[in-house]
Amino acid sequence: MGAKDNKKSSYISNKEISFKFDGKKYHGYEGDTIASALLRNNVRFVARSFKYHRPRGIYTCGIEEPNGIVQILNEHNEPNTRATVKQIYEGLKVSSQNRWPSLNIDIASINNLLSPMFSAGFYYKTFMGPKGFWKRIYEPIIRRTAGLGKPPREFRSKSIHQNHNVDIVIVGGGLSGLIAARKLIDTQYDVLILEQDSFLGGVLKNSNKVKKINNKEPKEWIKETEKLIQASKNIKVLKNSLVTSYNFTNHLIASEDKCAGKKIDENKSELTLHKIRTTHTILANGHIERFISFRNNDLPGVMLASSFEKYIHRYGVVPETNPAIFTNNSTTATLLKSLIDLGHKPAAYIDARNKEKIGRKFLNYLEKNNIPTYINAEVEGCDGNKKIKTISIRKSNKIIKIKSSMLCVSGGLNPDIHLFTQSKGLVKWDDKLVTFKPDVPFQNTITLGSVSGNYNYEKTFEEINKKLSFLKVKNINLKIELSDINNFNIKELWETKHEKKSNWSKSFIDLHNDVTTKDLKQAVKEGFDRIEHLKRFTTNSMGTDQGKISSINSLGIVSKILKKKISEVGTTTYRPPYAPLSFSAIAGRNTYEFYDPQRKTPIHNWHIDNKAVFEDVGQWKRPWYFKKFEMESMHLAVQRESEQTRKTAGILDGSTLGKIEIKGKDALEFMNLMYTNAFTKMKPMTSRYALMLGEDGMIKDDGIVCKFDDKHFIVTTTSGGAPKVLADMEEYLQTEWPHLQVYVNSITEQFSTFNISGPKSRDIVSKVFTDVDFSNENFPFMTFKVFDYMDTKVRIMRASFTGELGYEIYITPNKALELWKKIFHFGKAYDLVPYGTETMHLLRAEKGYVVIGQETDGTVTPLDLNFNWMIGKKKKDFIGKRSLTRSDTSRDDRKQLVGIIPLDKSEFIEEGQHVVECERLPKRITTPVEYLGHVSSSYHSPNLNHCIAMAMIKGGNKLMGSKLFVSSTYGTKNIPVEVVSPIFIDPENKRLVS
Amino acid sequence: MILINCPYCGERDQSEFSNGGEAHVARPENSENLNDKEWGKYVFYRDNPKGIFYERWVHTHGCRKWFNAVRNTSTDEILKIYKLGDNPPNKESFSNTLKTPSGEPKVGSGNFTVKK
Repeated sequence: MGAKDNKKSSYISNKEISFKFDGKKYHGYEGDTIASALLRNNVRFVARSFKYHRPRGIYTCGIEEPNGIVQILNEHNEPNTRATVKQIYEGLKVSSQNRWPSLNIDIASINNLLSPMFSAGFYYKTFMGPKGFWKRIYEPIIRRTAGLGKPPREFRSKSIHQNHNVDIVIVGGGLSGLIAARKLIDTQYDVLILEQDSFLGGVLKNSNKVKKINNKEPKEWIKETEKLIQASKNIKVLKNSLVTSYNFTNHLIASEDKCAGKKIDENKSELTLHKIRTTHTILANGHIERFISFRNNDLPGVMLASSFEKYIHRYGVVPETNPAIFTNNSTTATLLKSLIDLGHKPAAYIDARNKEKIGRKFLNYLEKNNIPTYINAEVEGCDGNKKIKTISIRKSNKIIKIKSSMLCVSGGLNPDIHLFTQSKGLVKWDDKLVTFKPDVPFQNTITLGSVSGNYNYEKTFEEINKKLSFLKVKNINLKIELSDINNFNIKELWETKHEKKSNWSKSFIDLHNDVTTKDLKQAVKEGFDRIEHLKRFTTNSMGTDQGKISSINSLGIVSKILKKKISEVGTTTYRPPYAPLSFSAIAGRNTYEFYDPQRKTPIHNWHIDNKAVFEDVGQWKRPWYFKKFEMESMHLAVQRESEQTRKTAGILDGSTLGKIEIKGKDALEFMNLMYTNAFTKMKPMTSRYALMLGEDGMIKDDGIVCKFDDKHFIVTTTSGGAPKVLADMEEYLQTEWPHLQVYVNSITEQFSTFNISGPKSRDIVSKVFTDVDFSNENFPFMTFKVFDYMDTKVRIMRASFTGELGYEIYITPNKALELWKKIFHFGKAYDLVPYGTETMHLLRAEKGYVVIGQETDGTVTPLDLNFNWMIGKKKKDFIGKRSLTRSDTSRDDRKQLVGIIPLDKSEFIEEGQHVVECERLPKRITTPVEYLGHVSSSYHSPNLNHCIAMAMIKGGNKLMGSKLFVSSTYGTKNIPVEVVSPIFIDPENKRLVS
Repeated sequence: MILINCPYCGERDQSEFSNGGEAHVARPENSENLNDKEWGKYVFYRDNPKGIFYERWVHTHGCRKWFNAVRNTSTDEILKIYKLGDNPPNKESFSNTLKTPSGEPKVGSGNFTVKK
């Protein structure tokens, strides 16, 4: 009794290593998975189940594992790792999940006894009220008791992405995959083989079903094939690589574990996500065995028969020398033979099939070896405390009890159609194989071997020769000797009839999510008879294993209840990923600072040295405000900066401003079409504030247009809007007006921009640029000059976004910092202050200038902002012109821009608040309070010493001088305000033009 | 992710492109002569058929050129790609079976993966 070693003929090395499970030290061998190493140490109870906290053991030997899911304590705490896949290494620490205080004594296992409460749809039905209970009470408790592992402490991404462009991808390096690969050696095709295991061979290494290939041991044949592939120039093999999705146009995603069986190297990537484009996809990804539901089919000790076989041959461990075998098909014969050949004797062989199906030859073999055999029989259930003790067998309505500590179950084979259906291929029900198999591919997909429902290993090469004939490659002939006659047959059996013993007794359909066959029946009774609804109501096959060993069984059971054919019941939709995919693999290198590029101006380091606090504007880092001393608050800094700017001068780093150069014979006509303004009569070397609309008449962007001459313009755009404006210009030039000869080009990063403004700004720039005449007569408002300076060309435009006298200086970025420092050198005498975006917003609000995206939101026309003067009404056409006279845009009661100030000057209006007519809410609200508009900007003006705000109010132009109210987050009372003009400072533009 | 054959650059991943909606909607020349309804039709109304659809694409992260494509919206297959000035292919030259990748019937919902 117990586990026995069989390392000699397996794929496990002799190097002994130690690891810890739940704090206890165990020994395994290099190449062992956590599961195979634990089985080697006779540890079978490894987990508690999801909902009922029942004891669970290793059930399978691969990615399909529903039970053996563990937490890795090294490597940043990785939860929900499959013990059947993760390989051990020296010093690995593993713990079980979902139990407290320990695996053996788990308090929440009381759930199991309360299980009549936890029926299908339990969560939907129970936690309905009272209000607020879900968030504070139910959810925290449920999260603690029903769940998986604990999330990692920190997010790390040690993954990279790799792209491939190949002719053929072979998914699966098993028998069929290798035969296909051998055919493709040294052909003109670029081939990529993806294998999820660390060894090639598939069925050849997982069982002894194939005895000899071309008179060679399978192990040797694999070696020989691998050598041939390595020697070829056109085939590449990726091992430990699991294909997780098969997308449209033959695009596959595979995740490669670069650290299989190794500790994660801090300096190397852990996972590689392969993105593969291919012309043809060969799916040779095999099959997955399914189970049979019986009473307590989840007890530790129950295992899938083919997985048991895989442990013997692939991992070199016989988990139990005398297991019982329960089957409804012919595939378990080789397991039985393997055990007998190794000198072990199975406790019982239970077959649901009749004599004819089993075959005389095999029955004789059983008899000869004295195996207790039960035919036409089924397992009713098994009993035991945390492990199997007795197995009850039903034969002709009699129950026979036998003793055994392990039970191998096989309910048939399911071709692994997951990837095939992901690629949108259609599957078809096969009555003979009692399963779905691929039928019509939607893409260039070829299925080979058992995934196509061909379990006849002897003749696999014939199928492959036929299906790959279109590639015009050589045919292959193999002599394959099997250890058993290969004549697959199966008896349909989903669930055995069982006696009700106690609440503890359950027959599971989904082990991962603790769904019982009773839950399925109840759900159907409650009306969830469509398979997609049933799945969501019962959570059947919604665990991280996606019901790989059980979803077809649930279709079988449901079809019996509904008295329909399984093909009529249909399957649920298979969606990527095929198996859980680490977030780290998806993120790759696109994390933290690499997630999105950061754009910095040439003055960035100066800003840092001067205690700037930064704000993100698109991808740009812009100074928000500058701290004069460490403890200065944002409010104080902004008040100081804006006061100083109006008093003497301030400077803003405006290098982030979008800049587009427009050149060409038809530049003038193009500008007239793109912008609302009229540019024809505009004099050269002048500039103009301009608006760009959408065809719907709504404001899209604004900026200043500099006209050099009719063939050359430079426009500025908002910092965030530059790419879109350029794209729109290109679109119109290519699609609507291809006859216009115009070039547009982004020059945002070719020029740094400084905005210097304030009454002393003229004095400062005169000292910096001594050769330029800055007098009002020779350099009037909205003109610009280009001149040589510091071995480059500098463009200075007289413009202002503050309402003060101001200049915009454009210079090449590599001279920008030098000039910036020079301006400060001369500006010192005038207390020149650097200011950030917050002060910029405050200063422009005082002057009533709008910000696109703050006052406007895509529903605002120029008319709503009283920008009628900016519209070239005489122009025949421009984008959005016709929309400005639509019945909707010419309504009187549209929201219009106004200024508002609180009647009590000490009060502050908050941005985003509603403007209403009433002072407070009525005691009983019978009709909704009418909403007049919203506050779009609000600041405390240091220059007026009270709050100023801008608002978009319905019919605002007609409401000048009236009293309204603005809601507030402080208290229930609304703030009384007066509607005024939005221009609070210098409405006569005296400062601007003098 | 689908593969798009840019007429100027060749086959590239979909992530390099942006979709520009229905193709062959010309901007009216004398918009002042149109009434609100006619103009509104140009600005706000676009077709959204299940099946054959003529649409515009731009190779945003590439040559930045616009071009036209014929796509079967129910299968996402791009049936034809042609440059802006070229004549659009005849709709009858594509078989519009309205089939979807999963074989969904014309009427009703559900994502059937099983061949009947």
